[in-house]
Order: sequence, then structure tokens, then C-alpha cells
Amino acid sequence: MLIQFEQVTKRYGAVVALNNLSVSVPPGAIGLLGPNGSGKTTLIRSMLGLTRVDHGTGQVLGLDFQTRRLDIRRLVGFVPEDECLFPRVVGVEFVSYAGELVGMSTKDALQRSHEVLDYVGLGEARYRKVETYSTGMKQRLKIASAIIHDPKLLILDEPTNGMDPAGREEILVLARDLSRNKGMSLLFSSHLLPDVEAVCEYVVVLGGGKLLTDGKIQHLKQLHKQCYDVRLKTDPGLFVEKLTALGCTAEPWEDALRIQVPEGKSQRLLWEIAAEQGLQIRHLRPQRSTLEEVFLKAVEQD
Amino acid sequence: MPIFDQGYQHWNGQLSGHAWRWLAITRHGVRIGMKGKVLRLFLLLSLMPALGLVSAVSVWGLVERNASLVEPIVQFLVSIGLLNPAVAADPRHYRVEIWTLCYTLFLSMELTLSMILILLAGPELISQDLRFNALPLYLSRPLRRIDYLVGKLGVIATFLGLVMIVPCLSAYVLGLLFSLDLTILRDTFRLLLASIAYGLVIIVSAGTLILALSSLSRNSRYVALFWLGVWIISNVVSGVVQSTDHVQRRQARYQQAMVTKPDTPPRPPGRGRGGFPGMGRQAVVRNEFENEDLEAAKTNWRPLLSYTSNLSRVGRQLLGTDAAWKTLGELEPAGGRGRFIAQSLDSQYPWYWSAGVLAGLFGLSACILSLSVRSLDRLR
Repeated sequence: MLIQFEQVTKRYGAVVALNNLSVSVPPGAIGLLGPNGSGKTTLIRSMLGLTRVDHGTGQVLGLDFQTRRLDIRRLVGFVPEDECLFPRVVGVEFVSYAGELVGMSTKDALQRSHEVLDYVGLGEARYRKVETYSTGMKQRLKIASAIIHDPKLLILDEPTNGMDPAGREEILVLARDLSRNKGMSLLFSSHLLPDVEAVCEYVVVLGGGKLLTDGKIQHLKQLHKQCYDVRLKTDPGLFVEKLTALGCTAEPWEDALRIQVPEGKSQRLLWEIAAEQGLQIRHLRPQRSTLEEVFLKAVEQD
Repeated sequence: MPIFDQGYQHWNGQLSGHAWRWLAITRHGVRIGMKGKVLRLFLLLSLMPALGLVSAVSVWGLVERNASLVEPIVQFLVSIGLLNPAVAADPRHYRVEIWTLCYTLFLSMELTLSMILILLAGPELISQDLRFNALPLYLSRPLRRIDYLVGKLGVIATFLGLVMIVPCLSAYVLGLLFSLDLTILRDTFRLLLASIAYGLVIIVSAGTLILALSSLSRNSRYVALFWLGVWIISNVVSGVVQSTDHVQRRQARYQQAMVTKPDTPPRPPGRGRGGFPGMGRQAVVRNEFENEDLEAAKTNWRPLLSYTSNLSRVGRQLLGTDAAWKTLGELEPAGGRGRFIAQSLDSQYPWYWSAGVLAGLFGLSACILSLSVRSLDRLR
């Protein structure tokens, strides 16, 4: 397991940041979802040993997160959410310094910093002062400094916050490439569900410091076999009436209808009614939950 | 060029152990500091007194060997009263005293220069990290807070060590080489250790103090002003308080003398006190006041208000400066001995008072650092 927490509790005074949290996460690209104050940042800090938990046990990359904090940080790359920089350096010095702090030799760190800066697309800005970088460049710089020692796990805390669409897309492509093609596990914490969906195959949803749901995105976004999204060419009034008479439910959904057919019936029923009434079906597909629905459902259940 | 045209390569190198991780911070800090032209120039300037120390100790080595090369220099120093003829006649006997005074003079000059050096190199050390929010970058790597602080202190230690400890070592080796006498090791090795210890006291005390000040503000200009306050204003305040006290006591003493009947015979001559036959009344009073002043200095707490006076007092104790002055003072004629010693010695209060003040400041600095350079174990 990449991360395994057992009944972990962390309180900040009266605020319970992690509430008896138990979660097991497999290697791969993991999305960490949750509303503000759900405990995402505390979970990340606990994993890195930056915060001491009040109760519970756990492991990160097979190491006890309470006693092997420094060892875990050697194996992990962390890209914090906030804008943070080592001041008064150029890009290559920034990344190289990050490598030295992890324990790389000066020579290795310098050589490797050139490689990772090329990889994240900052090769041409490597000798510019980091204070002059744009938001997107700073974010890529932080990613470069987090992967300089080739970590087994890369933690990205809200990596696309405040970025323009092009910069956001670059970060997503970069994260996807690292997890899918370079074999690096990823913990991608974000409020932006499309971003998580674009990068991750597994999600953990937190709320109130508890685990609300977790699993593979494909499994969570299950097919609803008796439920269909249907769009007709003309007014669906008669179509809906007929369906209702046959025990179906039909509700408007975006520019289409969401139709639930009774047990034992299939989509064939829809085709038959449309044929009877001479209506043209333009769109018909089984309903599949979006990640947003999964998220909202989990939060509402909490 | 779009990103990913350059492939990502895995890295299989070895990461070093944890013990020396702070060194990366020190190395980086020194590199950044040395980018500043003013600091580089000032470092060179700070090495000038080192040339004086090296020269003085080397020349003394030649004096001990009665080298004809330095004979005119010795004669000149004797003629202008800077060197006692008795010392010139038997230089080996006064080796420890001369070396001690050379090192004391050098380190007192370097103390002032190091205050300026810290002013140039110190304020940005933590304040800039706070300003650019760099702490999460440090603390999310395999570093503890203590590694971070030791690394930052190492920057100060490097600069101060370069202008204080390295010259002390170099001068020692050169002095040894020029005298070609191994008994120097026996006589002065304690002085070498003491000078290194004094350098370390300055580094640790001033280093933690500037780090604490640097952690109080995100603006390094304010930190520089804080430092000037600690250094100059504390000196000024201490000087003013001491002068006021001195003037008041002198006035009181002279007024007391004026109300005494003029035909009152002067106090009989004695060891360090009283007057001498043939002295005028005013001279007697002045002499008595100087002796009283020397006595009062033993309990005068006012120099404690000055940060550099405290460092200086501890330094004099470590180096044995007062003992050296007293030994040389014994060579002065009996009439001027008291004045010679009084002029040579600074404040005479117990050295551990100053050590206590420095320890208190160190504790305060450590508290400030522990509060300002916090871990991430908190809510934002």
C-alpha cells in the first residue's frame, strides 16, 4: 500500500482535523478530494511527519509515519499549495539547492536540476531570477524541485490553483506523464474535480476529517442500468406521458431527459415508444455518475 | 518547445546521511552572501587587522631571536614609550603578555568589524525566507528545525570565523615559525585555545541574536535597524550612564575634598592608595579618586548595558588580558603604576556577570527562534 492510516486522529484545540481516519491507498495516481476544512492538508502534513497526530498508526511507503519522518521525506516529493520560493537565486540554483537539501551531492544536484528543468519546460528560464517567474512557471519550478531526487511519491497540493487554462493544462499533462509513464505515484489534492479526473485513477474523498468514500474512479462512476439520458428532436411532452403511464420516471436533465425504466424493462422500451409516436431519438445512453455527483453524494451523506 | 520533448530520466544516485544536512544550508547562504559586492569588500577590509596581528606576532618572534632586522623597530618602540625597556631586554620572559595583548587588540578590532559584517550578512538570513514563505520548502524535506537554524548560524560562523578564528590560527603558526622556538607551544597554546573560544562565543552569541532578530520581520531593513539598536544604541546608553556616574562621583569627591581643611595632611603613602610626599593637594585628590574609581569598577554594572562590552569582558577573561596588563604594569614606576593599570583595564566587574547577560540573550534568542521559525504543525 502507498498509504495506510489506522484510526488516526488529529486535533487543533477544539478543531478535529482528522477524526479517527482509517484509509488504505494503493500505488498510482490518487486524487484527494474534500471541501475546505475536510482534513486534506492535515492528512498530507501527517504523512510527511510535519504534524504529530494525537492517536492512530500508519505507514507511508511502508514506513511508520510517526517514527520514520525523515526517511519518508527522502522518498517523497512535496509541492506545497502556497507560493513559496528560496529567494535570491536563479532557477537552476533553486532546483539544485532543493536537491542538496534532500541529500544529493552538489555535482549530482546541479546536473539533475538541468535535466528536470528541461523536463518541466523551464530550460530557457533556468538562469532567470525565480522572483521574476510567472505563477505557472513558479508552479513548474516547485514540481522540478520536488522531483529532482526522483521520489517514489509526489504530493501535489492544489497544484492548479490560480493558474490560467494553458498553465493548468501544462501542469495536468505533466502530472499525468509522471504517474502514467514514469511510474511515480501521485497524491493530487485539489478542489477541481475535472483536474483530479484528468490525472487520477483513484480518489479518496474526505469530509470533516473522516473518509467519506474511496475507490477507483471508474468504479465510483458506475453505470445506472435502468437509467438513461435521452434527447429527442421534437417536444417530448407526449413521449413523457406515455413513459409515465408505463411506470417510468422522466425528469429534465440539462438539455435532455433522464429516464428511469422499471425493473425487467430495457432501453428497447424507449425505442418502441418513440417509434409508435413517430419521434426521433437523437441521443440515448445509459446514465453514468460524474465525479462531481460522486463527490456531492459522498458529502451529502456525511 | 513544448514540454516533454526532453524525457524524464530516473535517478539512482546515493543520498547523503542526515548529520551534515545543515551544511547545504550554510553553503547556500554563504554563496548567496558572497554575491554581494559590499560584503565581499568588507570581508577583505576585515582581514586587514589580521595582517597586523600576523606581523606583530612574527616580528616578536624575530625580537626573541635578537634578529638585527627588527632592532631598529624595537629601539623606536622603546623611544616612543610603547615598549617598556625591561620587556625589550628580555622579550622571551614577556612573550605571553605581548602575545596576549596582540591577540586582545586584534580581537577587539575584529569585534567591531564583525558587528558590521553581521549587519551586512545577517538580516536577510531568515527574514527573506519568511518573506518568500520558504519554510515549507525546507521543512517538507528531510530537515528538522534545528538543522535549519544550525545551517543559518553556520553562515554567520563562516564569515566571522574567516575574519577572527582563521587569522588567530595563521598568526599562531607564523609566530611559531618566526621564533623557531617550540616553547611557544607550551607558553601560548592556552592563548590560542582562548582566542578560538572567544571567537566561538562571539559567533554563537551574535549569530543567534541576529537570527532571532531576522526572524522577527519579513523586512530585512527593519532587522538591520534592530541590530544597530542592539549594537550602537546599547553602547551609547551604557556610555552615557557610565559617564554620568563617573562625573557625579568625581564631583562629589572634589567637593568633599574642598570642604576638608586645607591644612589636613594628605593620607600617608600606601600600596595603591593615598598620596606621595611633595604632591600638590589637587594631585593627591586626583590620585585618591583614581584609586576609588578602580575600586568602584569592580562593582560597576553599567557596562552590562552594552552588548559589545559584555562580549569584550568575557573575551578579556578568556584571553587573560587583565593579568597581562598587570604584569606589565609592575614594570612601571611606582608613582604611575596605579594610573597605568587603571588606564589599561576596562571595567573590572566579575566576568560572569557579562557571561550571564550573554547567556540570557542567548536564551531569549532561542525562545524567539523557536516561536518564529515554527513547524507546520498548526492550522493556517
